[in-house]
Amino acid sequence: MALNLNCPICGPRSGYEFRFGGEDKGPRPAEEGATTALWLAYAHLNRNVAGVQREWWCHKDGCGTWFRVCRDTVTNCEVPTVDTL
Amino acid sequence: MLKRSTQPKRLWRSAPLKPAYDAVVIGGGLHGLAAAYFLASRHGMQDVAVIEKRYIGYGGAGRNTAIVRANQRTSENVPLYKEALDMWPRLTRELDFNLMFYNCGNLNLAHSEAALKAMRLQTATAQFHGVDSRLLTPAECKALIPALDITDRPKYPIFGGMFHPPGGIVRHDAVVWGLAKGASARGVHIHQDTAVTGIEVQRGKVAAVQTSRGRIATPRVLNAAGAYAAALADHLLDIRLPISVLTIQAMVTQPLKPLLDHVISSGGYHIYANQTLKGEIATGAHMDRWPNYTTGTSAYYIKHQAEALTDLLPCLQGVKFMRTWAGLADMTPDMAPIMSGNDPVQGYYQDCGWGYFGFKSCAAAGKYMAQYMTTGTCPEILAPFDPGRFAAHRLMGETAALVNYSADN
Amino acid sequence: MERLKHLPTLRIAARQPITLRFNGRTLAGCAGDTVATLLYGSGERIFGRSLKYHRPRGLYSLDGECSNAMMTIDGMPNLNAELTPAREGMRVEPQNVMGSLKWDLLGGLDHLAFAMPAGFFYKTLHKPSWLWPRAVKGIRRAAGLGVLHPEARFDQRCDAIYPNVDVCVVGGGPAGLSAALAAAEEGLRVALLEARPRLGGFCDYRVRADAQGKPLHQWAAALADQVRARDNIRVFTDAPVVGAYPDGRVAAFQRGGPEDAFDLRYIEITAAGAVVATGCIERPLLFAHNDRPGVMQMGCAHRLLHTYGIRPAADAVFSVAHDLGLEAAIDLHDQGVTVHCVADARTDGQDPLLIAALEQRGIPLRRGWVAHTAHGRSRLRAVTLGTPAGTFRQRIACELLVASAGLTPLTGLVTMAGGQVKYDPRTGFFLPVRLPPNMQACGRLRGLHDPAALAADGTLAGLRAAEGLGCRPQRKIAAAEAALAAAPGAPRGSKWLAAPGKGAKTFICFDEDGTLKHLHQAMAQGFDVPELIKRFTAIGTGPGQGGIPGHNLPLLVAAGQASPASDPMPTTVRPPLVAAPIAAYAGGRHDMAKRTPMHDAQVAAGGRMERVGEWFRARRFGTDPGAAAEIMAVRTNVGLLDASTLGKFRVFGPDALKALQRVYVGDMARTRPFRTTYAAMCNEDGCVIDDGVVIRTGDNDFYITTSTGRAAQTVEWFRYHTRYDGWDYHIVNLTDAHGVINIAGPNARKVLEAMTADDVANTAFPFAACRDLTLAGGIPARAMRLGFVGELSYELHVPASCMETAWRMAEAAGAPFGIAPFGLEAQNTLRMEKGHVILGSESEQRTVLHDLGLGFLWCRTKPEAKTVGALALRDTADQPGRLKLVGFKMETPGDGPPRDGSPVVNGRIRGYVCTARHSHALGEPVGMALVEEELARGGTRLGIYEDGCGGRLRYGTVAPMPFYDPEGTRMRI
Ligand SMILES: Cc1cc2nc3c(=O)[nH]c(=O)nc-3n(C[C@H](O)[C@H](O)[C@H](O)COP(=O)(O)OP(=O)(O)OC[C@H]3O[C@@H](n4cnc5c(N)ncnc54)[C@H](O)[C@@H]3O)c2cc1C
Ligand SMILES: [Zn+2]
Repeated sequence: MALNLNCPICGPRSGYEFRFGGEDKGPRPAEEGATTALWLAYAHLNRNVAGVQREWWCHKDGCGTWFRVCRDTVTNCEVPTVDTL
Repeated sequence: MLKRSTQPKRLWRSAPLKPAYDAVVIGGGLHGLAAAYFLASRHGMQDVAVIEKRYIGYGGAGRNTAIVRANQRTSENVPLYKEALDMWPRLTRELDFNLMFYNCGNLNLAHSEAALKAMRLQTATAQFHGVDSRLLTPAECKALIPALDITDRPKYPIFGGMFHPPGGIVRHDAVVWGLAKGASARGVHIHQDTAVTGIEVQRGKVAAVQTSRGRIATPRVLNAAGAYAAALADHLLDIRLPISVLTIQAMVTQPLKPLLDHVISSGGYHIYANQTLKGEIATGAHMDRWPNYTTGTSAYYIKHQAEALTDLLPCLQGVKFMRTWAGLADMTPDMAPIMSGNDPVQGYYQDCGWGYFGFKSCAAAGKYMAQYMTTGTCPEILAPFDPGRFAAHRLMGETAALVNYSADN
Repeated sequence: MERLKHLPTLRIAARQPITLRFNGRTLAGCAGDTVATLLYGSGERIFGRSLKYHRPRGLYSLDGECSNAMMTIDGMPNLNAELTPAREGMRVEPQNVMGSLKWDLLGGLDHLAFAMPAGFFYKTLHKPSWLWPRAVKGIRRAAGLGVLHPEARFDQRCDAIYPNVDVCVVGGGPAGLSAALAAAEEGLRVALLEARPRLGGFCDYRVRADAQGKPLHQWAAALADQVRARDNIRVFTDAPVVGAYPDGRVAAFQRGGPEDAFDLRYIEITAAGAVVATGCIERPLLFAHNDRPGVMQMGCAHRLLHTYGIRPAADAVFSVAHDLGLEAAIDLHDQGVTVHCVADARTDGQDPLLIAALEQRGIPLRRGWVAHTAHGRSRLRAVTLGTPAGTFRQRIACELLVASAGLTPLTGLVTMAGGQVKYDPRTGFFLPVRLPPNMQACGRLRGLHDPAALAADGTLAGLRAAEGLGCRPQRKIAAAEAALAAAPGAPRGSKWLAAPGKGAKTFICFDEDGTLKHLHQAMAQGFDVPELIKRFTAIGTGPGQGGIPGHNLPLLVAAGQASPASDPMPTTVRPPLVAAPIAAYAGGRHDMAKRTPMHDAQVAAGGRMERVGEWFRARRFGTDPGAAAEIMAVRTNVGLLDASTLGKFRVFGPDALKALQRVYVGDMARTRPFRTTYAAMCNEDGCVIDDGVVIRTGDNDFYITTSTGRAAQTVEWFRYHTRYDGWDYHIVNLTDAHGVINIAGPNARKVLEAMTADDVANTAFPFAACRDLTLAGGIPARAMRLGFVGELSYELHVPASCMETAWRMAEAAGAPFGIAPFGLEAQNTLRMEKGHVILGSESEQRTVLHDLGLGFLWCRTKPEAKTVGALALRDTADQPGRLKLVGFKMETPGDGPPRDGSPVVNGRIRGYVCTARHSHALGEPVGMALVEEELARGGTRLGIYEDGCGGRLRYGTVAPMPFYDPEGTRMRI
């Protein structure tokens, strides 16, 4: 399905040049004291929001940068960054 | 026979939405309808409602490429899929609706030594479970599908194949309508244009379901909302699942006289193709690798599919694509589904995460989920599909592929 | 048949004859003909037989909306004759015919139609149950159009282009041409795509005068000339657009002409703005036997006459509902066709000038009348016209019935790209009501008809597109708006649906033989949305897709619904808008496979090259599948392996170590300068995804290798797992920059000594060390002493540019020993004898580090590194019941090794053989398997279930690894 993304280095490019890197779940949890539940949430569980979510992308067929964007999963359009997510 | 069908009756009745049901099924897709049908037909449950947001078959049920087979990779999976495969002729009889099971067999191609080895495991596993499956040389593959190019010319030459005679294709719409017909005849209420918007929990137990048309009291609810199941579980019950919702695109060519006598697939090319009873070649496979809820197609994808198809089956070059479409697939990290119940909420059941496999499995999954919902105890055959396996680091071995980013696999 | 010669709109070259073979006969036409016009011009009237009922079908439209004129041309089935240019010597065959076109042996099926109601197959042939598996064979044979030979090849030259433009205009009619001009005048780069061979759209064949008295075809040609004259408009004719996508991409394919260097070209345009000016096709008129050969659409008759110079018949009746129909009737009359009568479904609203012109010619106009029935079988003989309810009727004998319920806009691209259409009761059109961002729609597609209105609307759309891209043509926009307002608006459209009656022979869909009766049956069974009716009846799922039924179906459904409250909703239009050959999509064949610098040399040495991921590698040299000679050479002498595909990276910078600590499970702080450290990367699940060596080459500077398969993802992986940290380090992929030669075997040192003056004695260059050597001729080589195959071995990393020289040097240095290359198969056996794993071979997605016995690679004492996979490794370290990797030997070694992938069973499946090979060093088969923990203890008997064994197991016994040289002395010599 059709998608364009704005790479911070290269500008707007076809979504197929990028690799999706998951929902933005925040920095890696500390290893010390981490529970299995915490690991599971970080490694595998998704919110699967039908709407705007913040997520990671890599411009794999371009400059290679990892960056965050906000995208509406219902329209597949990038939306301006929302800080309250 | 002909006479009756010229005086058509409604296939399923429309009924008023009652304030209470014994069971509510979310989603009028394959798994929802199957579960409802078995609840009514096998367990005599009188008051079952299927709540469907749009119309029955709107989701993956009406968009899949209808491939059925039983040669999964692991011992946990094969028996379930075998039972499902064996059920098509029986269901046809039972529902008095022709599901059009076309038992043409599936040929899966290997393009490397590693793929051959994976096929050997899959073949032997199938044989061990009494499922017919055999390994073929490239020449034997060509004998089955004369259109295959088995020379060194293609990008990925053919090293061999795995043939699985009991598989084939089933008419997907027929399954939806047949199950709806059967369920309706046994008293199930099918409510279309109705969305589930909430699940009420009291003291750890399901009490009711909120819908766009009002509240329904019920002690048990099945989440069979397909691609929306994970979002629904998160949204309504705060249950997060290891699921990603990805788009699968598929397409058909214009109809041709018989050319492909079997379903063929190739992991190397990320492609499968089969000729429908109407003569169209239906093909697809690849997933777009980012989660979303659109069912749009893309130029990129059709082109990819065309490149792969013409490499593998060069005679198709001059054949025309007629229609492309897309559907959503709910993928788990290990490509095996999630079926569970009463955890963490009594009376809440879920049947989702089917990815590419939710069509071929629906009859058996529906049957056992119905049993689960009636008895409250998990049938043995479903036990391996509990999502607890992810926390326990026991992924099911349905995919041999080594993972990339945990978030979208 | 003689063509008309002196029409100003002719697009054929009557003096350039073309002949082709049709059904075994030679037919003649001329350059500019399509196959369909050539056949029609030669007197052919039956073009094919319908899918289900084998009804004769003729030429109905010239735009390919249905399968009526699909033929097999030069062996390729299902080509639309009306869209295929005629070429000299073509072989054309009709389809779906048993016997001859005129006397089809299955023509009788038509009389059985009553027995095939909507949803027929769902309700029949499944009882008794033995029936279906047999019936299915017959159904398959009967279904489908066109025979394709499995060895057929499509010898057309295909390529693909990807232009980037500011504005993409789709449609080369007056509106599209005006839009392109307007945008181009703003200085933008414009692409204009037109499906037909010529620009001009529906004006190209019209002689009617515009308000200024200029014939429309001249007016359109002048517009087209202006467009062609602009160098910032790139024009593509013969280029049907197949899809428009929300990401701003427009896909099309173009048919090349005789002067082009391609036959088919895939065009994918990335455009910042788009203008859709695709105009209209016709809405089919529904009446009994509306599919008879001799019934055709108004545009078809009109174009046959004016574009191709073919008088479509001697006499004709018209049943139309649009002014274009009246115009066609007048033009046909003027070229000698007797027009008996024009029935116009509209009671009023006709252009008075056209009415006057009809009167002047003595052609009776029956307002409010429509066709009820077409008579005749293989050719039209007569038509019954009547008032809508059929109260008054008249039967008129004629050869041709021009039938059309009006126009229907081609809005598919708008909806595909994410726009919306809504039923408009005035025009009777589904009009765009919400356009996707950056898309404009204009022209006939918006219901307009008058030439001045079309030009103004097109100009406006072009200007708006420019405005969306930052231009400021405000004054021009105002002027265009005024011009549009001054021009006639959208005419009222006819609401006529279908004559009353059961409609058993009233075809809504030609491709699928879907009738009005089928529709009513489906609705009676509870199918109440067009989308579902489409699936249940197959209406609109044939080769022409929605082209024929797309407009009528939703109107009929809405009319048939109990509560007519809701708007008619059309079914979704899906790409490709025009059926496109798969080869057109595929474009040129290109493959990015990589070859190492040693590719050709290895082929010359007898190497069997195989694709491994993106690389070609040598599996073996010679024909022995077990590569015994290569193996023995390494064990007893010396061999040479091209390992260039290994991933190679430099990781450096102040935070390089932190990054390594994050992705490697071991403690990278303990790496020593120029010592190789074997290290593994896991994913979050603790599954080993990569292994290789890490070498500290300086302060904050590391050289690492990865497996071939992971090389492409390693940089991404490092950056992903450090994305939140903002660390200061770099990782550079050197995979393609360095070639790797592995020299292995007891004589390896002697070979290396001959290649370099540096001291490579065991003391100077011990096992596990890394040295930067200078080879003869000054070639720099980073050399490592590793033991993957279990012998003395050196891995030389040399610049790819010198790789061939270094390889030849090694061959020369090894010549006295008879050095020979070895391949992957030999390496696989050699490393297996040593118990070394290959990821993906001895592991799968669910295999964690501990399962492979490699738990020692994980360092538990670096939690601050937050190592990827550490949490899972902690949880699984002592977890019972996992699959474990074991070595095994066979109870009856003489039977050879079991096949890779064979399950290990013990009541149930409890694991599987990963790799098993005959070990030449040990003289017996050995293997590795992943088995449940209870079976993993030494001496346990393993039952091996090979495919095809029929339950007869073979047995092996768990044996300690490594099988070969357990003390590892040989690699340290
Ligand atoms: C292109 C494609 C090809 C495929 N090919 C195959 C194949 O060849 N073989 C195979 O086995 N599988 C195939 N699949 C997978 C298969 O189609 C799915 O796994 C299957 O449809 C899942 O069934 P389901 O009942 O879980 O979901 P669905 O069939 O998607 O049904 C879910 C239903 O829930 C409804 N719903 C959602 N939210 C709500 C709500 N809040 N309230 C009420 N209702 C709701 C939806 O409208 C939908 O109708 C394919 C899938 C796709 C997309
Ligand atoms: Zn970039």
